[in-house]
Amino acid sequence: MGHFILRRFVQTLIVLFFVTIFAFFLIRLAPGNPAIMMLPDGAPESAVKEMEIKLGLDKPLYVQYYKYIKGIFTEDFGLSTAYKRSVGSIIRARFPYSAKLAIWSVLIGCVIAIPLGIIAGSRQGSATDFFAMMFALLGQSMSPVWLSVLNMLVFGVWLKWLPTTGTGSYKHYILPILTLAYPMAASIARIGRSGMIDTLSEDYITATYARGLSKFKVNWKYAFRNALVPIVTLVGIQMGSFLAGTIIVETVFGVAGIGQLLNIAVGNRDYALVQSLLLISSLCFVVINFIVDIINSFIDPRNKLN
Amino acid sequence: MSDKLLEIKDFSVKFSTEYAEVFAVNHVNIEISSGESIGLVGETGAGKTTIALATLNLLSKNASVKGDILFKGNSVFSMSDKELRTMRGAKIAMIFQNPLTALNPVFTVGEQIAMVIRAHENVSRKEAMERAKELLNMVGIEKRRFKEYPNQFSGGMRQRVGIAASLACNPELLIADEPTTALDVTIQAQILELMKQLQQKYSTSLLMITHNLGIIAELCQKVAVMYAGTIIEYGTVKEVFSNPLHPYTKGLLNAIPKLEGERKRLEAIPGLIADPQNLPVGCKFEPRCTKCDDRCKEFMPSMVKINDNHYIACYAVN
Amino acid sequence: MNNSIIWKRMKRSPFFMVGLIVIMFLFVMVFIIPSFVHYKPTENNLMETFRSPDWLSKGLKGHVLGTDELGRDVFSRLLYGGRYSLMIAFIVVFLQIIIGTVLGIVAGFFGGIIDSIIMRLCEIVLAIPNLVLAIAIMAVMGKNLSNLIFVLTFAGWVDSCKVTRNNAEVVRSQDFVRASTALGATNSRIMFREILPNITTPIIILASQRFGFTILLEAALSFLNLGIQPPIPSWGNMISAGRSFMAIYPWLVFAPGIALMLCILAFNFIGDGLRDVLDPKRKM
Repeated sequence: MGHFILRRFVQTLIVLFFVTIFAFFLIRLAPGNPAIMMLPDGAPESAVKEMEIKLGLDKPLYVQYYKYIKGIFTEDFGLSTAYKRSVGSIIRARFPYSAKLAIWSVLIGCVIAIPLGIIAGSRQGSATDFFAMMFALLGQSMSPVWLSVLNMLVFGVWLKWLPTTGTGSYKHYILPILTLAYPMAASIARIGRSGMIDTLSEDYITATYARGLSKFKVNWKYAFRNALVPIVTLVGIQMGSFLAGTIIVETVFGVAGIGQLLNIAVGNRDYALVQSLLLISSLCFVVINFIVDIINSFIDPRNKLN
Repeated sequence: MSDKLLEIKDFSVKFSTEYAEVFAVNHVNIEISSGESIGLVGETGAGKTTIALATLNLLSKNASVKGDILFKGNSVFSMSDKELRTMRGAKIAMIFQNPLTALNPVFTVGEQIAMVIRAHENVSRKEAMERAKELLNMVGIEKRRFKEYPNQFSGGMRQRVGIAASLACNPELLIADEPTTALDVTIQAQILELMKQLQQKYSTSLLMITHNLGIIAELCQKVAVMYAGTIIEYGTVKEVFSNPLHPYTKGLLNAIPKLEGERKRLEAIPGLIADPQNLPVGCKFEPRCTKCDDRCKEFMPSMVKINDNHYIACYAVN
Repeated sequence: MNNSIIWKRMKRSPFFMVGLIVIMFLFVMVFIIPSFVHYKPTENNLMETFRSPDWLSKGLKGHVLGTDELGRDVFSRLLYGGRYSLMIAFIVVFLQIIIGTVLGIVAGFFGGIIDSIIMRLCEIVLAIPNLVLAIAIMAVMGKNLSNLIFVLTFAGWVDSCKVTRNNAEVVRSQDFVRASTALGATNSRIMFREILPNITTPIIILASQRFGFTILLEAALSFLNLGIQPPIPSWGNMISAGRSFMAIYPWLVFAPGIALMLCILAFNFIGDGLRDVLDPKRKM
């Protein structure tokens, strides 16, 4: 068991290592002087020289990389050109908003989708299944671009039930969370359903019925555990890429999280910020999936025992 | 009231698939009394597993049945869900053919045996697990392995777990669906030995489904020979094996290589296995039979009694 | 699996049929109708801003869906936007499949260290969420079309690589490959003759799914003004532009929004339908 965790941990580190290399090279790949890119337009020659020294552009590549990595560990991600504050402090201030959105949308998504998927899968071909699948298909076709705008129009402007932008009260969170939750719930329901269908066609389920277990028990205890593994994996992926999901939603609903931050940073050509956000989002993804793998090894021990 | 445990009466099963209709079982009659063990022999695809699953009313949705199967006088097709659940696993238990797929990979073997007990008896989890450990012991697996997962066991061990699960609630009838087919020969012998011991210990009735005549000789009193979903010969093992009358049965017995005696060429049964999507109108064996005539082509022969212990469905024997 | 069974299933699968019909409708709208529409998508007309939709009262000579903030005809922009999005999606998915399949076959067939490297590469690409990666690259490297296609392709080749590699690995260890080698077949011959036929089905299903994803990603990028650049229309940038006025002129976002939704829905339908039709394990 410890062996398994160690192996996954090392794999995670390797992946992270390469991601940092990618982030590091991103700035340097673009045409032009990276120092100029990290500074606002029209910066004086002296500032450019300063930045060049700071980035260590005169030194060999591996030294530059080393400085960069060192910076990450000391939480020094550099200065945001637009905000004139350390990137770290900006991100730290905004992160909780995005985290709130992410956690709530995953929770609501799972609570709706997992039972829906299990029920649909166990009643394949029935009316329940059909409506569940229609619901899910529609959800997967709802680009956050359209859904957020639609929700805001319908619930915010026309029906005036909920506020449209900002983050004042809990009411402000409802629309963004629902906008994030619906497509997520749709994917989870579909994976749950197909996992259920696959499991129910296995011999051991027939054997379980042959041993006298009830349909309820088979669906909700025995087949459920088998179907859970792909569900948990998917939830991990969805949670891990929450930054991608919230970029649009935060922009439309005016939530001051790191998704909106990325958008603003790009607009300001604040490359230090962009680079760091890239790194943070990968870090989140990789860490969450690592945890998910461990959880899965408890549900289905086959992998860890090999 | 006779002590007939299981009566399969003029039973037929037809599967409707995308490609064609498959006539898996055709007008089968089998009776098992309390304490009896009967072998059901035939080639793969002869419909044997279908009969086993039908007995527990576990056929897939695209199956349509004719005739009836009675357990202690009650039709399994008109039982309520509750009655079926009481019957399955506790009164009639099944051992499945493929040990690799018959156990749920994400539950421990202990849990899978305990689940059978708890489904039928109102005992605590602890007690059920204790009994599960006893059962593991009985089939020759160390008690402490109850918390291991199926993929930590070999094929033979997994089949033992399957046997333990089937005996958990002392069933009256045990249906063993080719329990040793997926195992190699040495392990087969071990499983067979185990089953013989258990048979002596308990007086469970046994329906042994296999294509291996040796197993039937060891374990069963009666044998039914099946071809293309129909029973073509039936009787005590002694009678049928020493005096096979149906050309197919004769062919089966002749196909077994003999260790002693003079070396002769193995006789194969000419022709190909019947296609269940395309069965002949008359006797199903007719296309491969060397002794048939026109009557065999047109009419399906019915079971004729040769003596108390021997029945046969063949026009060539009279 | 013979063709007659496939045709039978296609006709019986409502998903497939509905998806197919909507996609054919889309194609007609996007590639044929624009020639009949009176207005050009980038034709500004500041005298005619924010006109509400004429619908079909004036046939195709009127502003069927009204005009936007610069007086441009919304209907025409809608159709052209669809055309560009679909064309880009086709190119991208095609490239994704080619790259993914080639890498996957190489990885699965040769195994060993080549396999490890390619699989690690897949993991790294997967570790950075799609949209973030796309935004970062577009932002840093410039917002032109070739970058857009590069970014969209890069974000999605991993799926086909993994599928192909798994299949190739299975095939590699099978006896008939060894038999082929014994008969003197070269590596590439084996790879193409033996492996390719096995993967056609999952690749077709995968491709149909990737269309939806690609259009979604492109719409998101265009919405953030990092995709198709105005004045060239894309449903994404139309929604973004119309957002400022949507309270008063909702059709400016409804038209591209519903079009986007229908398009992705149709591709999802076809993807599901294809899976139903082609999956050999499907139960009757």
